[in-house]
Amino acid sequence: MIETLMYAFADVFAPWNLALMTIGVTAGLIAGAIPGFTIAMAVVLTLPFTFGLSPVEGLSTMIGVFVGGLSGGLMSGMLTGIPGTPSSIATTFDGFPMARNGKPGLALGLGVWSSFFGGIFSAVLLVTLAPRLAVIGLEFGPWDYFSLVLFALTITASLSGENLVKGMIAGALGLFIATIGEDEVNGVARFSFGIDDLESGFTFLPVLIGLFAFSQLLSDLQDRVKARQPLMDASGADARIRIEHLKAIRMVFARWTNLLRSSVIGVFTGVLPAAGGSISNILAYDQAKKASKTPEKFGTGTPDGIIAPESANNATAGGALITMMALGIPGDIITAVMLGALLIHNVQPSPTFISDNPDLAYAIFVAFFLAHFIMIAMQSVTLRLFVMVTRIPMYLLASVILAYCAIGVFALNNITYDIWVLFFFGIIGYVMRQLGFPLAPIILGVVLGHVAELNLSRSLAIDSDLMLFLTRPWSLFFLLVSVFSIGFPWYQKARTTKAWTLAYIPVLLAAVSVPLFMMEGFVRPIIGVALLALSAYLLWRSAASGWKVAPTGDHEVHLEET
Amino acid sequence: MARLNRDTLIALLLLVFCGVMISASLDIEETNYGTMQSSVWPQVVLGVLTVFCLAMLGQSVLKPSVVKTENGGGSSGLGRYRNAITVYVLFFLFLVTLPYLGMLLGGIGFVFLALTLLGEPELKRVPLHLAVAVGTVGLMWSIFTFGLGVLLPDGELLQLN
Repeated sequence: MIETLMYAFADVFAPWNLALMTIGVTAGLIAGAIPGFTIAMAVVLTLPFTFGLSPVEGLSTMIGVFVGGLSGGLMSGMLTGIPGTPSSIATTFDGFPMARNGKPGLALGLGVWSSFFGGIFSAVLLVTLAPRLAVIGLEFGPWDYFSLVLFALTITASLSGENLVKGMIAGALGLFIATIGEDEVNGVARFSFGIDDLESGFTFLPVLIGLFAFSQLLSDLQDRVKARQPLMDASGADARIRIEHLKAIRMVFARWTNLLRSSVIGVFTGVLPAAGGSISNILAYDQAKKASKTPEKFGTGTPDGIIAPESANNATAGGALITMMALGIPGDIITAVMLGALLIHNVQPSPTFISDNPDLAYAIFVAFFLAHFIMIAMQSVTLRLFVMVTRIPMYLLASVILAYCAIGVFALNNITYDIWVLFFFGIIGYVMRQLGFPLAPIILGVVLGHVAELNLSRSLAIDSDLMLFLTRPWSLFFLLVSVFSIGFPWYQKARTTKAWTLAYIPVLLAAVSVPLFMMEGFVRPIIGVALLALSAYLLWRSAASGWKVAPTGDHEVHLEET
Repeated sequence: MARLNRDTLIALLLLVFCGVMISASLDIEETNYGTMQSSVWPQVVLGVLTVFCLAMLGQSVLKPSVVKTENGGGSSGLGRYRNAITVYVLFFLFLVTLPYLGMLLGGIGFVFLALTLLGEPELKRVPLHLAVAVGTVGLMWSIFTFGLGVLLPDGELLQLN
């Protein structure tokens, strides 16, 4: 392991790679700071540049953009009151008041260092947990893997918007798109309608850029007046602000319980498929407020209100990478793009990824660590760039990026057909956005469609008995959580008004304890007993209080494009 | 358009799409090898999609509510989509003319026309838009051609590679 780590250090600390990462972090910081320009879009647009790079260079650059983007959102949120990304919404609640109260340098310092420590905490967990989780992943048979994909899709659909059915339709459409072209198992052409190009199906990148980036830019341009105005009014943002690093570090350490709790929330939110920084920052803010002795100060510029969301959203990145690297399942659009990047370099994401590609896996770990240090170094520089970029009108930026999309997509296979695919899916993505369909499930459907089909086929080849999906513990576990994830939107809507919601979590815990009892060894059945006991306790507590529901949180949880 | 009408219409269109695709899936070649036929998985997916579309149809009829779209925009009707339609038409023209103009000239043309049609309709902006188009597309073309070694398509009009 030490030897692998040394190799990884040598790869990541190579001058060219350091330069690429610095550019990536800077681009991420700027992209994250621009409202409407999401981190996911920045990572998507980075992908074409990575074709000509080695896997380590490509992935390091993308990780740089990812980490930079998560921290960039705080700049605009604090200085203008408009969060740059959904993952920094809660930062604005206290960051903006603090900046307006004459302490912008301290507000930025708290945000930057909370992001840093949250990210480093998740990086430590990434290095220690991902290989262990991958060992669990090695236990998975095709039945379990198929059910895991199903879970990833259902939870994404249920968290992606207000309309569950539209989310489910989007996920199923994604799966259908993945079936077009030659079947991976038998080599038979499907839905090609006699068109030669369609026989090879759709390459992931043009579909992704079309559905996501192209349609996003078109949506940003929709308002003709707004499209001609500067990106945002940053007149209140002074590029000469000095970030108060030392004071901020001291304040962050003085509130270490908040930092630790929020980072843990961030990591575990990231580990869950579909849940990202847009959810974790609000959850961490809510928890910090509940745990505070002075909750009334939240919203007026309290340091705890900045530390919680910023440490949580950066920690989410580490959590998402844990799932991606250990199980080969993307947690969100960003990790889906990273999986796409791995596929481009012929690296197959799966539970064996870390053991099969230790050099690359450890390079990702090191790059994730390093990106946080670069982020700290580049924050002051990008503050000036951010103020400059905000003066550019959207129509100018969008037109140039659209041309870049065409060039970038062509670079993948050197065929014009890919640009037509981009154009076609750009229209579909735009229409879907206008009709209120979430895009995350469709993208995950496209990425996971092949994995689902391959594993279904393998499972049927081994044994045609469909009951194995219910009798194998891991498969049953994922199917059960899939069912509960489908019910989650109803639970969320009714949890402050309907008594049945009090039984939702206990029943979920009791249900998932069943497959744990079916597993071998001692640890997992013991966890099953603990879950069952917790379930009984929660039911008893609700019964003792007469099944009365009480408001439990200030914010609904929805996945937004981070 | 109220959600009742719009979502019902979308659900019906999706159902027609599912019907067409299920019919097309029946034409997928059957093999005498492999445990799972190539048509099975698409049919499962289309079956699930059909069920969700029926659910959406039922929902749209039983629970009509006001629809929320992503951007408010200032105009109403088709005017709201003017910029989007303009860009799609320009992009389509860019693609159609790609064999003649190539990526460099076509890209410059696309960016210049997009900037001119989407931006302020002032004559004094035209040189600025041209400069931006030449500068940005030229830079991207150079990075991909010389930096990343990608052979971007030449047109009949200008052969550079």
